[in-house]
Amino acid sequence: MKKRLSMVLALLLALTLFLTACSSTDEPAGTEAPEETGETAEETVNNPAVAREGSEDTIIIGMSEAKGELMPIYYSSAYDGYAIGFMFDGLISNDEEGNYIPHVAKEWEVSEDGRTYTFYLRDDVKFWDGTPLTAHDVEFTYLAMADPNYDGRYYSYVQGLEGYEEYAEGDAENLSGVKVIDDYTISFTFKEALAVNLGYCGMPIMPKHYYGFEKGDIETLKSKMLEPLGSGGYKFVAFEPGQYLQFEANEDYFLGTPKIKNVILKFVTPDTQMAELETGSVDVLDAVTNTVENLETMERMGFVRLNSFLNNGYSFLGLNLRDPRLADKNVRQALTYGLDRKSFVDSFFQGHGVVCNVPISPVSWAYTDGLAQKLNEYEYNPDKAIELLEEAGWKLGEDGIREKDGMKLDFVLSIYPDAEWVGQLAAVAKDNWSKLGINVEIESMDFNSLMDKVYEEQDIQIWGQAWSLSIDPDAYGIFHSSQAVAPGNNAGGFINERNDELLELGRKTVDQEERKKIYEEWGLLINEELPYIFIYQRENWNMVNERIKGFDCSPFVDWSYPQIYLNWEIVQ
Amino acid sequence: MLKYIGRRLLQLIPVVLLISILIFIIIQLTPGDPVGSNLDPRASVEQKMAERARLGLDKPIHIRYLKWLGRTIKGDFGYSYIYKRPVIEVVPDFIKNSLILNVFVYIFAFILAIPIGIITAVKQYSKTDNFFSAFSLFGISMPTFFFGLLLIYFFGVKNQWFPISGMTTIGKNLEGLAKAKDVLMHMILPGLVLIIGSLASLVRYTRTSMLEVINQDYIRTARSKGLSEKVVIYKHAFRNALIPIVTIVGFTVPSLFSGAVMLETVFNWPGIGRVLVDAVNFRDYNLVMALNMFFAVLTLIGNLLADIGYALVDPRVKVD
Repeated sequence: MKKRLSMVLALLLALTLFLTACSSTDEPAGTEAPEETGETAEETVNNPAVAREGSEDTIIIGMSEAKGELMPIYYSSAYDGYAIGFMFDGLISNDEEGNYIPHVAKEWEVSEDGRTYTFYLRDDVKFWDGTPLTAHDVEFTYLAMADPNYDGRYYSYVQGLEGYEEYAEGDAENLSGVKVIDDYTISFTFKEALAVNLGYCGMPIMPKHYYGFEKGDIETLKSKMLEPLGSGGYKFVAFEPGQYLQFEANEDYFLGTPKIKNVILKFVTPDTQMAELETGSVDVLDAVTNTVENLETMERMGFVRLNSFLNNGYSFLGLNLRDPRLADKNVRQALTYGLDRKSFVDSFFQGHGVVCNVPISPVSWAYTDGLAQKLNEYEYNPDKAIELLEEAGWKLGEDGIREKDGMKLDFVLSIYPDAEWVGQLAAVAKDNWSKLGINVEIESMDFNSLMDKVYEEQDIQIWGQAWSLSIDPDAYGIFHSSQAVAPGNNAGGFINERNDELLELGRKTVDQEERKKIYEEWGLLINEELPYIFIYQRENWNMVNERIKGFDCSPFVDWSYPQIYLNWEIVQ
Repeated sequence: MLKYIGRRLLQLIPVVLLISILIFIIIQLTPGDPVGSNLDPRASVEQKMAERARLGLDKPIHIRYLKWLGRTIKGDFGYSYIYKRPVIEVVPDFIKNSLILNVFVYIFAFILAIPIGIITAVKQYSKTDNFFSAFSLFGISMPTFFFGLLLIYFFGVKNQWFPISGMTTIGKNLEGLAKAKDVLMHMILPGLVLIIGSLASLVRYTRTSMLEVINQDYIRTARSKGLSEKVVIYKHAFRNALIPIVTIVGFTVPSLFSGAVMLETVFNWPGIGRVLVDAVNFRDYNLVMALNMFFAVLTLIGNLLADIGYALVDPRVKVD
């Protein structure tokens, strides 16, 4: 009897503890947290991260989970990419404008025919074990990507090199396109002279003496996935799956010792990341979703600032031009004029995103003033949209839906539930377009199924998606007609002769001023033809505790670049 | 008994095969494939086709199944596309983390649920019973993520008594006992959510099975013999009421190793649940197959254990 009673009492106690906590919050009894007494709360803002044990020489960055792909030629998630940035260095890097700059290579030359790049390496770069980084390590890294059994994602770095087929498919012992001239000089020769080739020379360099393997025996290489050895400013300390990655400063880094001794990348989820920032268990949150709630929560904390910049990418509603209704340019333009993108973007991003009209990011050098001035902004204009439809012969039917030659403007818009914007936009589109006499049914499916429907089956009408862009504005892989066969990325089947010419020319031209002109014409062509309905370009948000100085990223330079992390400082 | 176990184990083989065929077909027929998760999204047609061929996705489904079966029997579960490491290396860490949390939860849940179940059955319709009926309803209907967030808000943010996420305090690199204590602190909030959730149903099971027994004639006989209430309840009634509970324990075995997706997401617990969901979303076939087969085998073994358990607690059940 006594036992029973105590059991019940114990349970009651546990439950009431929870219930009282819900109802009142006045007595934070026995809290170990920094005091939050009434007097101080108003005047000075408590910065809980300062009180965190070991905070004086450690920065904790909260981000999505890295999977542990800790090898330059194998990683594929952006989060593992940050770790790669800390640990490895490539021949070249890039500046804030997206121009290539020297890194391990102090300078480079391009041959007359534009096919060969010769790099002169610095001789003071060392791997963490003290071994100097030489041209042989660069060659090794490219041989690994050209290996017959290589199954990472960076084929494109080596496929354009001379002698790739002979090495990857034949029994050549070396890549003829990669020549070690001496310990600190190496040249890359490509089959074709293309503007994008220089970027392919920048793969972060892996030490041959550590990762070395017999041709074909890629398993040996992959077995070192979780034991990286690089040359970067932060040395690998630990990886705990699903939890965190830990690094420490490399005192012998060739660009100088990082000022902060320890860096921890903690894996957080959107549900609780703001709470982590608020309680000081992280100093920085990477890539916070642009919502008004998140911004307000951050501002309320009082010790966090926003590092915000335009994202290098865009979102769109894809159109399948194989559908005879969407093949009609008037319909595509009417759909764009008839969709109030400005109101949607303004209300969704509250000033932290802009409407976009071309598949070139305003942060790129290819987004010229000329382009910005000349392009059609397709401001919301339902009358204009109706006019275009009438002109093209789409007349209102008895059911209020426009029709022509037995075809009705009655579409299916396919979206995926993971992205909030596309769900909200779909509702706006349904409403806006109904005023034009266009009906749209919304269909939601998981992302991978949608991608299958779009790219494999090409059995789609209108779909929502986003692209992230790379440094180079080249969009051959997305819009060229050669990519219109399944599973190519030109899933909408946009075929236009001039488009193909410009895309090919853009790749072949090396001079940047020339390329600007080409991409300006191309941008205006796409702006007129509308293979997609372009929607928005959003900002990227990093939320940074005030105690961390120098955390200032920009579209092309994220926080794993040495020019950012070497500037970090803790001030508290 | 050993013969019985041996026979049952042999019977498992065709069942496991059948399950593997079904799971394999379902996963492979789901639209989408892992090509996108490995390649650069802007990859060209040729690159995508080459990747498909490399993954063997251009072969018919029965060939793919046989290949999978062939290497799985040899103990090779293949590479995970998302982790870029052999499945066999990726999985144990996550399962271990789920196991730690689940063992903690089930120990508490069973220790609490069985006595409460007995009390509520003996005192049917009393205040205690009503209280726990209400409590069970609350426990079963409370959504994990909401309850979790509530706990985080009050005990992690408002009052910083417990850490709000993860499994260890990052950056401390604790060892031994200090580490165990640290993990325990991280386990309390997610543990509480799971305990209340599972306690609710366990209490109901125990109560129902006790009630059924208490109303049996032999209990009345035992009482009329003049046995003390304690002996009647704990010796006669409880022993018999245990039988259905043993089944539940058997069914619990697989769930010890599986993760709770919602809870892991909210508390950022590095368990296997989220890994499986990720694997499904990215169509990481090797990982999905390995995990599903693991859970299927565990469920079958759990059932077998429950049957053996029956034989041990119920003299009416004969195994040969």
